[in-house]
Amino acid sequence: MGKGGMSHDNNGDDDGGENLAAWLVAQNTLKIQPFQLPPLGPHDVRVRMKAVGICGSDVHYLKTLRCAHFVVKEPMVIGHECAGVIEEVGSDVKSLVPGDRVALEPGISCWRCEYCKEGRYNLCPDMKFFATPPVHGSLANQVVHPADLCFKLPDNVSLEEGAMCEPLSVGVHACRRANIGPETNVLVMGAGPIGLVTLLAARAFGAPKVIIADVDDHRLSVAKSLGADGVIKVSRSIQDADEEVLLIQKAMGALIDVTFDCAGFDKTMSTALTATRAGGKVCLVGMGHNEMTVPLTPAAAREVDVIGIFRYKNTWPLCLEFIRSGKIDVKPLITHRFGFSQKEVEDAFETSARGGDAIKVMFNL
Amino acid sequence: MSQEQAMGGEGGAGGEENMAAWLMGIKNLQIQPYHLPPLGPHDVKVRVKTLGICGSDVHHFKTMRCASFIVKKPMVIGHECAGIIEEVGSKVKTLAVGERVALEPGISCRRCHLCKEGRYNLCPEMKFFGSPPTNGALANKVVHPAYLCYKLPDNVSLEEGAMCEPLSVGVHACRRANISTDTNVLIIGSGPIGLVTLLAARAFGAPRVIVVDVDEHRLSFAKRLGADEVVEVSTDMQLVGQELTQIKDTAGCNIHVTFDCVGYNKTISTALNATHPGGRVCLIGLASTEMTVPLMAGAAREIDVMGIFRYRNTWPLCIDLLRTGKIDVKPLITHRFGFTQGEVEQAFETSASGGKAIKVMFNL
Repeated sequence: MGKGGMSHDNNGDDDGGENLAAWLVAQNTLKIQPFQLPPLGPHDVRVRMKAVGICGSDVHYLKTLRCAHFVVKEPMVIGHECAGVIEEVGSDVKSLVPGDRVALEPGISCWRCEYCKEGRYNLCPDMKFFATPPVHGSLANQVVHPADLCFKLPDNVSLEEGAMCEPLSVGVHACRRANIGPETNVLVMGAGPIGLVTLLAARAFGAPKVIIADVDDHRLSVAKSLGADGVIKVSRSIQDADEEVLLIQKAMGALIDVTFDCAGFDKTMSTALTATRAGGKVCLVGMGHNEMTVPLTPAAAREVDVIGIFRYKNTWPLCLEFIRSGKIDVKPLITHRFGFSQKEVEDAFETSARGGDAIKVMFNL
Repeated sequence: MSQEQAMGGEGGAGGEENMAAWLMGIKNLQIQPYHLPPLGPHDVKVRVKTLGICGSDVHHFKTMRCASFIVKKPMVIGHECAGIIEEVGSKVKTLAVGERVALEPGISCRRCHLCKEGRYNLCPEMKFFGSPPTNGALANKVVHPAYLCYKLPDNVSLEEGAMCEPLSVGVHACRRANISTDTNVLIIGSGPIGLVTLLAARAFGAPRVIVVDVDEHRLSFAKRLGADEVVEVSTDMQLVGQELTQIKDTAGCNIHVTFDCVGYNKTISTALNATHPGGRVCLIGLASTEMTVPLMAGAAREIDVMGIFRYRNTWPLCIDLLRTGKIDVKPLITHRFGFTQGEVEQAFETSASGGKAIKVMFNL
């Protein structure tokens, strides 16, 4: 089951048929070039991409050709947060028809290993995930994908909101693993895109109070406008940790049951472990540093558990329901929009990479 | 009741004087009188018969502190104990004079949200034998709430009763970590805590248990107690990669749960890397404070790290496991001493020396 390759029919014109994609061809180099799709299997669908968001991992691949232990060794189509319109369905596909608007879950797991069979398919060692090398991504005119990983959008959910299901899924999965509910007061460390979707998800799961900490004033004000009960400005300096823990606890005004570290640094993790109440949980969502120096023992002696989060599983239906019902509004997170041309692709990635007031950069194809 | 009163000497007419081993200063234990509080309606008075020495007792003995607990004034040491009921409070119906009981050391407040949720081990107002400023139980007698005294079945000895305390740590850890017939277990550290965790994991049905330590003798002990495989490792951080391979090869199976019964950079790093994705690491050993750990290696594989602090609601299960023979703690008791000044000093020295001394037990 291939994911397509570079077509050698390089005439570049949109002759109504050629499929083009944004290829990561070298460090800091993206090129729109033909992308030949694999044949449509009986359980596959062909989707015309309409909305693709840029993720921090996409930017990381662009800048460094790697992300954790995944290394880009040959040109690869980038992008994975996407939604589009069904153009063609495989012979055994009954649940979707051409014209349906769908959001795509990026990762194809093997469905045979112990993880898959237990439902923890996000941990499948043979996972084929859009734009995680060597698997091609979805910033393209069209992609071929299993029908069971394409989720029909309710009428009132836009294609851009469909694409936002991917980052939102990270927040939703984290809230599930951490058991967020009407009795869990939540602290979120980091008000970037992931911190913000986690805030939205925690609210939707019924958390009575959600407060958020960041170093950036602008991002904190965005968090406030998205419904954070409190925002706390913190520094990057570890010396300030003790003082900031007190400020944070005061801002919550109650015991902190769960902290989501959506940044993943020594300081944020240390703050999380210290600020969370005895018997509480710290969810490590952000992937900052691999090795961290943290006060693990005092936390362990208070039975504060550390829960790991890797991507998501079975989250699209819930995300779509949250958006459909209005329980979650992801639209404010989309701060910049670009079309699908060479220049715009370059500008879009530059915008996303600079962070700051750029939260989610979205392509409209 | 001030310490002065307690030590002031109550001896003389009528009954024997209650004596206890008081920690007076660094490495300074003195057997001196210990004046008991009056018996409340829900209390019992217990003649202590057996008491084991814990690593934390040794730590208090050597340094007058243990983590954030500081010994500021003389304190009776010891908390792993069992004895015989001498007197019962007016409202006590479940216990009678003469009964043999094992004691759960900690009195929680029973009013805070943690207590009410059943996580009383985390109670901030916990009064725990031998954790300053609460006096311990290395004494002729102690007064204790009846609900924390558990009757021993006829075939469970008083020494086994005292062993319920360290065994409880292993049992609580196995519960939190959800040990079952589906979980292969790795235990880092083959000291008393690693060993009770091994026994508990077996009792909870773990199909395969691997034990790792730097000490060959302690590893052979683990093998005798039922470890499927043992691996000798070093304290050298540079060898962590190599040793990880050795551990995985020897295990020959996926490790679902790792218990770190030591608690250093190296052991926790080994634990996070050796555990299978989706698994759990239980941090029981509380050696360091700050540790540099490859936390992301764990988190990106959805390995959860759970802390263990003491235990809760474990005595009934421990006693039952001992009664049915599912667990045999007797081999862990390697040294025995009586309750005299000289023997108390010797006992602590023996326990502190580690090595072949696993559990040092007082018989009073």
